[in-house]
Amino acid sequence: MHLPDGFVPVGLALAGYAGSGALTALALARLRRLPDPRAEVPRAAMLTTVFFAASALAIPVPPTTVHLMLAGLMGVLLGWFAMPAILVGLFLQAVLFGHGGLTTLGLNGLVFGLPAVLAMAVWRGIGRRWPDLGALVAGGGAVLLALALFAGIVLAGMPAALDAGVERAALGVFVLAHLPLVLAEGLIVLVLVRVLRRIEPGLLRHG
Amino acid sequence: MGDAQGGALSARARLVVAFVLAFGIAAVQGLTLLPVVAVLAGLALAMAPGRRALLRRLRPAALLALAFLVALPLLTGTTPLLRLGWLTLTVEGAEAGLLVATRLLAIVTLTVVLLAPVPPFALVGAMRAMGLPGLMADLALLTLRYLDELKAELGRARLARRLRGGRARLRDLPDHALLLATALIRAQARSERLWAAMRLRGHGATLGPPAPGPGTRDRAAMAAALALALALPALDRGL
Repeated sequence: MHLPDGFVPVGLALAGYAGSGALTALALARLRRLPDPRAEVPRAAMLTTVFFAASALAIPVPPTTVHLMLAGLMGVLLGWFAMPAILVGLFLQAVLFGHGGLTTLGLNGLVFGLPAVLAMAVWRGIGRRWPDLGALVAGGGAVLLALALFAGIVLAGMPAALDAGVERAALGVFVLAHLPLVLAEGLIVLVLVRVLRRIEPGLLRHG
Repeated sequence: MGDAQGGALSARARLVVAFVLAFGIAAVQGLTLLPVVAVLAGLALAMAPGRRALLRRLRPAALLALAFLVALPLLTGTTPLLRLGWLTLTVEGAEAGLLVATRLLAIVTLTVVLLAPVPPFALVGAMRAMGLPGLMADLALLTLRYLDELKAELGRARLARRLRGGRARLRDLPDHALLLATALIRAQARSERLWAAMRLRGHGATLGPPAPGPGTRDRAAMAAALALALALPALDRGL
């Protein structure tokens, strides 16, 4: 679910950079309040690598396979570090593998970054008291928000006008095709959180 | 920072040229300038060393461009161009497909030609020199260092799961999650050791020496790219 180069108008792409820049600046400002932000780098880098590698990992959702996004997991495990980590991952994906694009880096940063921030808020809000529910909602909700953002940007950036019927049908197919991913990521974050709480609770210290 | 190939341009200049040209091409709205854009990308590819490897890296973008060329005439527009049974291809959709596909392929081609020869670490150094916050540069450095290790780790875990009889089914999602959790836990410990070693060797972006400023060739290339990127949309509107 990466917006490619050449698809959206330049104005929209620049707006994406402005939005991603603002969100990253906010995240970095929050991180600077930590006693030693650099001490968090190894964990953030590890998650960025997982995020990077996950785009190649296909999960079977019959009759097809889907690729994980892991924005929710990033938000749950990394907190405010998720936004810079996602931008770094997207940049490396665009340059090394041609996933996404240079002009759409800002927009893709918002498509993945805003859901990660939402997942962080959900996890911090309800994860302490109901960790299973928090993990499920954070993982699945992040995919839902990313779907909505992606669909909105695609419709806004479409070079020629869609007619209303086709627009509804295309959106319906797109959302239906990705609904299994909502469940899959919710489930994956839930299982991961359960395992980490038992074996390595230190990885969940943002919760 | 010297060029990765011992050639003309520094990593920083290549990055700036790639970004500026990408935005210049993305700003083209009409069909008239598309041949110019295509020739520009084609020439860059023809002059680049290691064309076969570059072409391999362009394959996903070419497939995506083909998908746009096929899908947009069916999904958008109102003026019929061609009727194939119950399918109607539209003029507006065909034009949109051609525009998006050409811009996509041209931008990805130029990005690959310009940035593929630069080692990823040099790219991060260039970003740091251009103002990337130290924390993000550190993050990128460690991510790159750790990428191969994690890929191998996940590959080993998947192979082990398959050897134990695990199959790729929807109901096996928890197994995938467990696999990811195991990889994360092992990766955590290893990444902290790796980071400590990198800091001791001075690899951290805030610990490393600052990259030198752009040379004459760099400045010329960046100015030429900027001129071209400004000229493309200006000509596009004028034609």
